[in-house]
Amino acid sequence: MAIVEVTDVKKTYPLGKTEVHAVKGVSFSIEKGDFISIAGPSGSGKSTILNLIGCIDVPTEGTVVINGQQTSGLKDREITELRHQVIGFIFQSFNLVPVLNVYENIEFPLLLGRKRPTKSEHAQAREYIDHLIEEVGLSNWRKHRPNELSGGQRQRVAIARALAVRPQIVLADEPTANLDSKTGEDIIGLMKKINSELETTFIFSTHDSSIVSIADHVIRLKDGLVTENFRKERTTTR
Amino acid sequence: MQYILIALRNLSRQRRRTFMLGGAIAFGIMVVTLINGFAGSFVDNVGENFSQLLAGHIFVEGVEKTGTREVRVIRDDDVLTHTLEEQQIPTRFISRRSNFDAEIVFQGNTIRQNIVGADWTREEFLRERLNLVEGSFDELTTENELGQRQGLILSKGIADRLRAQVGDTLTLRMRTVNGQQNIGDFRLVAISYDPGLFGSLSGYADLAYVNQLIGLQPGEYQTLGIFVDSISQIDTYFEPYYQTLENRVQVFPRNQGEEGQNQVEALFRAAEEDNWEGVRYRLYTLNDVLEQVQQIVDLLNNASLIILLVLFFIIMVGITNTFRMIMIERVKEIGTVRALGMQRHDVMVLFLLEAFFLALGGALLGLALAGITMFILGLINLGLDSAIYILLKNGYLTFLLSPWQVLLNFSVVIGLTLAAAYVPSRKAAYLSPVDALRA
Ligand SMILES: Nc1ncnc2c1ncn2[C@@H]1O[C@H](COP(=O)(O)OP(=O)(O)OP(=O)(O)O)[C@@H](O)[C@H]1O
Ligand SMILES: [Mg+2]
Repeated sequence: MAIVEVTDVKKTYPLGKTEVHAVKGVSFSIEKGDFISIAGPSGSGKSTILNLIGCIDVPTEGTVVINGQQTSGLKDREITELRHQVIGFIFQSFNLVPVLNVYENIEFPLLLGRKRPTKSEHAQAREYIDHLIEEVGLSNWRKHRPNELSGGQRQRVAIARALAVRPQIVLADEPTANLDSKTGEDIIGLMKKINSELETTFIFSTHDSSIVSIADHVIRLKDGLVTENFRKERTTTR
Repeated sequence: MQYILIALRNLSRQRRRTFMLGGAIAFGIMVVTLINGFAGSFVDNVGENFSQLLAGHIFVEGVEKTGTREVRVIRDDDVLTHTLEEQQIPTRFISRRSNFDAEIVFQGNTIRQNIVGADWTREEFLRERLNLVEGSFDELTTENELGQRQGLILSKGIADRLRAQVGDTLTLRMRTVNGQQNIGDFRLVAISYDPGLFGSLSGYADLAYVNQLIGLQPGEYQTLGIFVDSISQIDTYFEPYYQTLENRVQVFPRNQGEEGQNQVEALFRAAEEDNWEGVRYRLYTLNDVLEQVQQIVDLLNNASLIILLVLFFIIMVGITNTFRMIMIERVKEIGTVRALGMQRHDVMVLFLLEAFFLALGGALLGLALAGITMFILGLINLGLDSAIYILLKNGYLTFLLSPWQVLLNFSVVIGLTLAAAYVPSRKAAYLSPVDALRA
């Protein structure tokens, strides 16, 4: 089942008196549980595509369907709700909340829900956060604030935070760009591990071709157009 | 909730900025609280001091009218005191006084002055309230060969204008209650401090001698002054007393709260205007006398509110600018939390919570500072000879703060701070998440 369907999407940004055609008409679909790489050189439109899938931006033309839901025409309240429930974000520069410690940062998305959690839900959430902290290997850093962590550690917190609401899709725009190559590989490895364990769909962008090979599905962009759309048949144990 | 925690932590990010803004708020609250506190005790202290000088909380004056002749006298106060007992009004003390308007002549100087005749053996408290610059109370009760107590106390202002010294003999001209001219000699035994506020103090002399001069018989007098047990309960006790007396004797109708009409003035005018005969009583309270003082207090409180508003419109500019800066500083964070699924409304709440705690913290600090200042000021003995002594309590500044006033000040400050932070907060909430993240 396709969890993301992008159809004839164009995105044009006004730039002074002219316009920039960042995405010039792309279509693709993404299968649930895949580990997807959006690759391409700088300026090819990777971030633009991810922002559209992440529902933090709207296409100029075409449609984006997430989890069967048409995203155009939704009110801000609905689209925010959709982001909260379906999508997790990992950013290039980590974007942790500086005044919150590791545990609180990971917990943060859980506090954004409309309804108050019950006592047992709260206990479950605690347990799950603890599990995530362990999963990303930060058990000894729970009480530390982001400025006390290394880049790799921060990105691990960001991964755990993205997973807190158990989203179906995690988007990561160049998650390794601010990390050295060894740490970057670890981060991608961790994402891949979680992808296999939790069946969460991961979509990450990169301009580093060496980490593309790990992906199940590669969408290559150039000048706002798809130049390659290749999906390996996954050997699933499902 | 977690939002409160985040708001508080956000405030501590830029400590200096927070302290500057919070300090400004604290300063405003402190100034206004001090004014309110002073105004709050103003009425009480003035009331307390006045009640001692006037010798009572509730006053009864008698007027006898036959034809056009009007005599101010209480010849028999049985019904007055009996009603007091019957109504079970807790009474601390009852004073009986007479007074006259005198023309004091001394070495070619003439001055008009109200002279009060008091019973010095009974009115101990008046000795405490009148602060003497020179002389002593002792000689007030010294009798001359005719058994008259000719001692007189004048305020310093009057004595200076007359160029009279303690020990001098003064001649006073007055009218008797029947309107005849009379003359009496007095010996200046003491000079009292002039508080300078609310006009000069009266001169004080012995009741029996005053009565003799104005043509009253022994045992007669003009004003009955009743001290009740609590100055704040005057009106509660007065109502039943007045209503009961109304059924037993003739009383002057009290002015039913006409705008701008002073109760006491109205009562006095009624005696002249109305067409009546017999004995009537004029009843008024300390509160009637203090009406004008209350107006001063209201003025002070209103002024303080205006100060608060002006001060805070200035502070508001700072707050608006600061929150605009904060928004720019945290634009990426705003984009992040919006991407993670925080609703616009919640972004705004987060900013407004921060503003709220800033205002609350500043206000509490201001209140604490005002409290400390009041405490310190309250320790200083300004002395009973101070010109503002009528505002003081035994020479000390006192402050009385109404919780409602504090609540009002806090509401104004918090309301204005929230209003100042509203526009930047709204702007932050309505940022597009992509644009915010790219910034
Ligand atoms: N808000 C914007 N306003 C104007 N032009 C934009 C905007 N966002 C992106 N662009 C332009 O659109 C094109 C695609 O940008 P995009 O950020 O999607 O590329 P990218 O593949 O993510 O590049 P990089 O690897 O450098 O991040 C670029 O030419 C960029 O300059
Ligand atoms: Mg990019």
